[in-house]
Amino acid sequence: MEHGKELAESCMQYALELGADYADARFVTTTIEGHVYRNGAPVSGGRTPSAGIGMRVLVEGSMGFASIDRLDRGLARSAVETAVKMARTTRRREPVDMGGPVSNRASWSMDVRDSLRGVDIDTIAGLAGEMNRQMEGLPSYTLILSPVVCDKYLVTSEGTEVTGHTEQLQTYVLLTGHGKAGSEQRFMDLTTAGGWERVKDTGLVERVADEVQRFKRVLEVAVAPKELVQQPVDMVVGPEVAGIIAHENVGHPSEGDRIMGREGAQAGESFWRDLKIGEARVGSQQVTVCEDPTIPNTGGFYLYDDEGVRARRRFLIKEGVANEPLLNREFGARFGTGSNGAARAAGFDREPIIRMSNTFFAAGDHTFEELFEGISLGVYMRSFSEWNIDDRRYQSKYTGCEAYLIRDGALTDTLVKRPILESTSVGLLSAVDAVSKDEVLDFAATCGKGDPMQPVPVYAGGGHVRIRGIRLGGVG
Amino acid sequence: MTGLDTLMRYADRAVEHAGDRVNCVIARCTQGTEWQIRFSQNNVDISKVWERLGIEVFVALEGGRTGFGERSVTSEEDVVAAVDSVVAFTERMPQSVFYAGVEQRATRYEASTEDYDNRIEEFGERAPELVNACIDAAIESGATRVAGALKFSRRLSCLRTGHGVEGRAMSTAYDLNVRAFQEQLDWSGQGLACGTVPSAAEEEMLAAGHRAGELAKKAVGAVQGKPGVYDLIMSPTVAANVLGYIPASANPIMVLIGVSPLGDKIGEQIAPEWVSAADDPTVPGGLMRRTFDFEGTPAQRVDIVKDGVLKQFIHNTSTAAMYEVESTGSSEPTALGGQIKMLLPAPSNIVFNNGDTSVEELFYVDRPTIYVTSNWYTRWQDYREGTFSTIPRDAMFLIEGDRWTPIKNLRISDNSLRMFRNIDAMADDRTQVYWWEVDVPTFISTVRVTDCRFTAATQ
Repeated sequence: MEHGKELAESCMQYALELGADYADARFVTTTIEGHVYRNGAPVSGGRTPSAGIGMRVLVEGSMGFASIDRLDRGLARSAVETAVKMARTTRRREPVDMGGPVSNRASWSMDVRDSLRGVDIDTIAGLAGEMNRQMEGLPSYTLILSPVVCDKYLVTSEGTEVTGHTEQLQTYVLLTGHGKAGSEQRFMDLTTAGGWERVKDTGLVERVADEVQRFKRVLEVAVAPKELVQQPVDMVVGPEVAGIIAHENVGHPSEGDRIMGREGAQAGESFWRDLKIGEARVGSQQVTVCEDPTIPNTGGFYLYDDEGVRARRRFLIKEGVANEPLLNREFGARFGTGSNGAARAAGFDREPIIRMSNTFFAAGDHTFEELFEGISLGVYMRSFSEWNIDDRRYQSKYTGCEAYLIRDGALTDTLVKRPILESTSVGLLSAVDAVSKDEVLDFAATCGKGDPMQPVPVYAGGGHVRIRGIRLGGVG
Repeated sequence: MTGLDTLMRYADRAVEHAGDRVNCVIARCTQGTEWQIRFSQNNVDISKVWERLGIEVFVALEGGRTGFGERSVTSEEDVVAAVDSVVAFTERMPQSVFYAGVEQRATRYEASTEDYDNRIEEFGERAPELVNACIDAAIESGATRVAGALKFSRRLSCLRTGHGVEGRAMSTAYDLNVRAFQEQLDWSGQGLACGTVPSAAEEEMLAAGHRAGELAKKAVGAVQGKPGVYDLIMSPTVAANVLGYIPASANPIMVLIGVSPLGDKIGEQIAPEWVSAADDPTVPGGLMRRTFDFEGTPAQRVDIVKDGVLKQFIHNTSTAAMYEVESTGSSEPTALGGQIKMLLPAPSNIVFNNGDTSVEELFYVDRPTIYVTSNWYTRWQDYREGTFSTIPRDAMFLIEGDRWTPIKNLRISDNSLRMFRNIDAMADDRTQVYWWEVDVPTFISTVRVTDCRFTAATQ
């Protein structure tokens, strides 16, 4: 690690010598191991260690980026020269402004008791065996277990020096089944954040067992009551569905680079562009959606972002009003507010861009049971399968996987097959009239953005959310 | 720049070092440089360069245990460390029930310079100017705001296997994505260009800028589309994503894990008899052109859909043994999800037959038809059924006779197998598509499909 740090520092210094107005360098080491099983049988596995440096230089208002995948001094100097040259020849029409200087010195780490570094293959195979047993009986099931350990060091020409450490057990399950109600597939990301202790702490095996039993029931008894599409109905969505709504309909459109158009050709722009932030109502009074990287043992955890800015909770929507966009330094300067610590890079070979971390509906004041009172006909969508949203993040679709009929103020055990919630972001958030007191943040996902693609781990969730008077896009 | 000789020396060293500790070893050493210029709001946002030199090592040990690793290397010591790491890892692995060996024939492949751009360095010097010219082209053609990315790369690689395969390869590539907007968020258009010789593609790149601008202009005034069932005309960009998935999923491993709709369909008529699609690593200009696969099996064209009938899957040695056929030379380290790669069959370039109808003729329709020029965020309800939805983005038009009305805010919610069967016409404008939503390079033309379901937000 020390050689890498020293090389990163020399890259930063060399960029200044070549005339850069600002320079930073991130030295990142990552070890990824992977084990893949299909129907309980091992397919293969592998181990991929990486260590490299990504550097940014700002020259006369233009940004250059270079990355090297090996700690070679000659290559590092050549990469710096290329980055400076590319930036200089760009001659950007409007100069990039990073805002006021940031000079933080800090070291942070995810809470880890039993590091994944020390977990041997037999232990992982034992866990895989337990998890696979829970899925037996299904015609097809795939399990991927992948411990990932990452250390990073950021140094900037403004005096920032930050080290960070994360560990995750990436866990993916794909279930395929057939039953009397037809066939279904369910993909689950059950990634835990922290050391091996999180397997037990989060009840990973029990969680798989529970989800498989629920999935099997969907296969057998789900029905498609036509009355649900003949009139507007009420809905309650569970933390998983609330989480994907918070992520897609709120988190993405709040990203400052989208709002200002920088992702225009890739992930898209944002309907927030045309809103007066701080005043525009995009949901009901009951909707408050937060973004918080500082929550321990979450996929999006960090205490300083990849530009060295201290992380904090952001209130994206506060009581229904678009409140605060996610910002890095460049867009913090453009919004006139400064960064709120949302810069993340998926690896040493990616530039830091504005990303979500953990996104969730803030708790409300209802109990779970109270949410169903007063609903004469409706659907409780506990989990979802197919989903998508347009690139302005305005028109979304979520198709239920495990969903139940609500009738006469009570949740029934009648499973509803594939109810479709297809709406606009504002239409959906404006129809929310209650959120439960419980706050669950365990819906793990990999968020994609950027070009080249930057997959980063995130969590999402919140309480149970009640949505009134929705016309479903279909059932069955 | 590291040369092929150094790369081969590293690959040789890996095979030699694995020695008789392994039943099988494959080592591929690759050096690459990639450049990218990203732009938005008519400005270059950032210029990037990536330098990579790494080795990929696959080993199989006694008892059918397999493992894969990759890491960067600067010396033969790094190569030795890479091999030791993979072997140590694999020694602890259980037996793979899927592994059935690798290519046994010792073949030597020389590097082909066809499709290699010797002027890529010069192109790099001109690239910032070219990006600005693309922005200007889009504006000239009717846009007010332009965003996009130009990426180009150079790659050398050497393969050596314990069974005596020796292969060298060199390639260059580029892809450009231009997206043009009016001030309004949803009046936009897209232009794409991709291929293997960037220095010969400047006109094509400018044309992509013009196309994006023209479409953005035509999208002005787009109104909410009405959900329903329409005939659908897909640009090559959309067809590559929606229809290209079918031949790209003719892969036994995708069938096994439940993400292909083709599992039990070999021998079935899945498209009209005038539709064919192949996996073709030999196609000139194909971004995934290669002469041999990761095992050292010769690359070959694989006719997946012939005259509308699903004929065969792609294979590597292991899946070929499972299906009692020959390998199709399609072995490639591939991630199944997560980030760890395994030795699996993987598609190269998907190539559809070109149509025999002019694009103009394709638009002579006597039923309400929707023309979609780009799409994104394709997601599957059930891969095996083919049930999916995807979101048209950029210019989209309702065609009623001679009248074209720009529309917006619709979603294609349908079934890919059914759409494949309902292909009604293919134009003669076949082109290669590769971008965010199409990660397997696909040669396809503008395609018309009957009776497709469009949905929209209910509130």
